[in-house]
Amino acid sequence: MSDKKRVSRRQFLNYTLTGVGGFMAAGMLAPMVRFAIDPVLQTKEGGEMHSVASVDEITNEPTRVEWTIDQVDAWYESEVQKTAWVYRNENDEIVALSPICTHLGCTVDWASNEEYPNQFYCPCHGGRYTKDGVNVKGTPPTAPLPVYEHKVEEGMLYLGEAQSRKGA
Amino acid sequence: MRWTEKDIKQYLPEKEYIDTLLIPMIPFDPASDQMMGKQAFQREINQIFTSLIEKEYKGRIFLAPEYYYISGAAETEVSRLNSWISQFRKQPFTHVFLLTFDAKWKKHEDELTGKLVWVPAIQSGNIQSTETQSFVKEQAGQISELIQAYW
Repeated sequence: MSDKKRVSRRQFLNYTLTGVGGFMAAGMLAPMVRFAIDPVLQTKEGGEMHSVASVDEITNEPTRVEWTIDQVDAWYESEVQKTAWVYRNENDEIVALSPICTHLGCTVDWASNEEYPNQFYCPCHGGRYTKDGVNVKGTPPTAPLPVYEHKVEEGMLYLGEAQSRKGA
Repeated sequence: MRWTEKDIKQYLPEKEYIDTLLIPMIPFDPASDQMMGKQAFQREINQIFTSLIEKEYKGRIFLAPEYYYISGAAETEVSRLNSWISQFRKQPFTHVFLLTFDAKWKKHEDELTGKLVWVPAIQSGNIQSTETQSFVKEQAGQISELIQAYW
C-alpha cells in the first residue's frame, strides 16, 4: 500500500468535521430559507372566482343570484351560500352588489318596499340604497353595499370577493 | 345575531337595534328508540330554519341558544322557559318568539311570556333533498313575515 492512498488522521478529522459542520449549517439554513420564501409559495384562499350566471340572463333589473363556496375556518370547513344582486347599469356594464346591509348585516331586497320602488331596502331598520348600492342619507347604513369583483368568460359571469366601499 | 363571541361583540354596542329574540325549542328523549330518529331530524330542521331566519335578519333578530327539554314534559317546562325569557328581557328585547315543532306547547301558550310560533313539522325525510330544502325555505320565509308583522 502506498502512502498516497492512505488517509491521514488529520485528513480524516478534517473531512468528518467539514461534513458534520455542513449538515448542521444546512439544518439551520433550510428552515430559514423556507420561511423567507413562504409568502411566495402560499396560495391565495379568497382569490377564487365562481361562475354564477349566464351573461344573457342579466338585465337592467337587479336579480338575485346564489352560489355556494367552501369556506375554511380555523376548525372546520363548511359550505356557505353567497348571494349577489346582479344587473347592467346605463353604460351596459355588469354590476354585482353584496346584499349584506352595512348597518348590522341583514339581507337587503331590491324594490321590496312599495314607497321606494327603485332602491334596495333593508327590512330590519329601513336602511335604503340607490340602485348603484350607495346608501341613502338619513337611513341607518353608513356605507354603500360592497361590490363583488367580477369577470366574464365564455358567456358566464364569475364573481370573486366582495369589496367594501367608503361611506357617502 | 348568534350566541357567539363575534356576534355578541357586535351586539353590545348596538343593542337598541336588535329588539327581537328567537328561541328555538328542541325536545328530545334518548330513552325512546322510536322517537330518537324523528327528534334528531326535527332538531336538524329546526336549526336550518333558525339559521335561515337569522341570516336574513341578522341586524334585528337575536338567535338565543337552543332550549332543550325532555319531550312530553311541557307542563313542567313552562316555569323554566319563562325564567329564560325573563333573563333575556333584561336586555332591550321587545319581541320574544319561541319556535317549536312540538304541538304540546300550544295548550300552554297563555302561560308563556313569549310568543309561541308553532310550525307543523316535516316528520322525517332526506334533509339534503331539494323538496325538503325548498319547503323549509318557503316556510322560513313565512315565519319571517309573521315576525315582521310585529315590528
